[in-house]
Amino acid sequence: MTGTNLGGPDLGQPIIGTADDADVRLSDYGPEDWVAFVLFWGLAIVVFLQFFTRYVLNDSLAWTEEIARYLLVCVTFIGAGMAARKNSHIHVEFFYVYLDRRQAFWLSTLVDALRILFYAYATWLGWKVANIMQFQRMVVIDWPMSIVFGVGCLGFAILTLRSMQVAVRHWRDGESALTRVHAEGRHQ
Amino acid sequence: MSGFLILVFVGLMVIGVPVAVALGGASLLLVMVEDAQPHLVVVHRMISGVDSFPLLAIPFFIMAGSLMNSGGITERIYDFALALVGWLKGGLGHVNVVGSVIFAGMSGTAVADAGGLGNIEIKAMRDHGYDVDFAVGITGASSTIGPIIPPSLPMVIYGVMANASIGQLFAAGLIPGLVMAASMMAMVAWYAHVRGFHRDATFALDRLWYTFRRAFLPLMTPVLLIGGMTTGVFTPTEAAIAATAYALILGMFVYRTLSWRGLIKVSMETTETTAIILLIVAGASIFGYLITITKVTDNVAELVLSITTQPWAILLLVNVFLLIVGCFMETIAAITILVPVLLPLMERIGVDPVHFGVIMVLNLMIGLLTPPVGMVLYILARVANISFERTTRACAPFLIPLVVTLGLVTYWPEMVLWLPTMFYR
Repeated sequence: MTGTNLGGPDLGQPIIGTADDADVRLSDYGPEDWVAFVLFWGLAIVVFLQFFTRYVLNDSLAWTEEIARYLLVCVTFIGAGMAARKNSHIHVEFFYVYLDRRQAFWLSTLVDALRILFYAYATWLGWKVANIMQFQRMVVIDWPMSIVFGVGCLGFAILTLRSMQVAVRHWRDGESALTRVHAEGRHQ
Repeated sequence: MSGFLILVFVGLMVIGVPVAVALGGASLLLVMVEDAQPHLVVVHRMISGVDSFPLLAIPFFIMAGSLMNSGGITERIYDFALALVGWLKGGLGHVNVVGSVIFAGMSGTAVADAGGLGNIEIKAMRDHGYDVDFAVGITGASSTIGPIIPPSLPMVIYGVMANASIGQLFAAGLIPGLVMAASMMAMVAWYAHVRGFHRDATFALDRLWYTFRRAFLPLMTPVLLIGGMTTGVFTPTEAAIAATAYALILGMFVYRTLSWRGLIKVSMETTETTAIILLIVAGASIFGYLITITKVTDNVAELVLSITTQPWAILLLVNVFLLIVGCFMETIAAITILVPVLLPLMERIGVDPVHFGVIMVLNLMIGLLTPPVGMVLYILARVANISFERTTRACAPFLIPLVVTLGLVTYWPEMVLWLPTMFYR
């Protein structure tokens, strides 16, 4: 159920995939995708360990729950960067049906600008939070919480850069997923 | 100030800013304008908003659903459903509903059902001479059972936002999900009667036994998941990881349909989908926090209670409101934003948070079948290769069983709360 194997317009929606591998090209994945991939499997292993130790060994590992939560934060923010590259974050587009091509393009450019601004400022704020969190320690391991917030900050940085890339592409092509809404008239 | 917050958010969202950014951006703007808290509170809240144990279930329910959605497994389920109810008049319509009910016990979203099983179902119904509109309508309607019967991503998000027990929410969805299925099958039977549909197969016990054995291992997934979670043996997170491990073993060692490439693809898609959903949850945690401290919820409650204090009338108003919101907003976003606004009102009139969770999710599932923002409609339009408008019209009659179920769910709380009360109190 990916956008690619069915063709047609970008839905701007989460992809709920299948395990059928006809259309997998490993070169389509960016570097942050592989980082997120490793984090995701780390998370899977930690959560499985927790399950296994609780039900099979009857003695759950104390650190698994906390580490799993932090890994989920990391997967979220690095993974958000990967979704930004594919421009697949959920947005609403029905308003674009009422705009002509030129208006749609300007509004879509404004959207690009606004999200870059937000991500960029959030990166800066994330950096400040991570610095403050140096002195707060995790509960089960003696590591600073700034690691978790640092990854969040890194995620915002990737979001910023990837959104800039997407914005440049939109500007060069003179169109975006939003401006195509009217042309395809799929919301009438 | 809360009016400002909501206005900026709606404005940003309507012009097409990603929902997560609209939530975070409106919050940031409010914090900047008020100048009472440091700006970094926005990012701090966003990041720590995802740091929650129940949310850990989300990636693994997505992954288990994707793994179970592969060709080999959906076909086995379909064949079993065909042998089970295909001999009724309008057989493939019933098969469609039963297949979705089984799949609903493994997957937590309607989108997966419409795109995976729906694909097989629509093709089979076309081949057997059913008109496309009937096939699309019943496929769309039955896919919305997915998030009502556990597991369910929307219910996990609701539970996190409302601070309600996800296990109880899951247990609460089971009976309404079966009621939905029954009302849809009644509608298929009525269609079959009026239009004189034929039987698509004859009943054969050996065929049923054969397909049951072939589908036995996948069929154990809903049994384990629903059985384990509604009785409280497994937490949702544990059930999710167990289902993922089980699906991996099935795909890699038993059926050998899962290749390494397939596994990489599923992992990547799971990561991306998880991130998309949780970034909205992150944005909603700062937004919800500001909504709560600016007392907007009290104002909403006062406003509604000044119109009427009758619980049935308030529930009616809230249902209509949710149906309208569901037309325009994506499910996860709607839940994260509306729970902090509506839940205090519900508590004032004595509606159980678990009961309200089922009401809200069912409303938003109906929203998946209504334009302009109906996710299932887009997918079915593509799967069946017909226009969006025609898909919308095809699904419209099937809103009737859904709205009837919604009425029952809303005004008959015992039906919803019986199962969770039995296992959890």
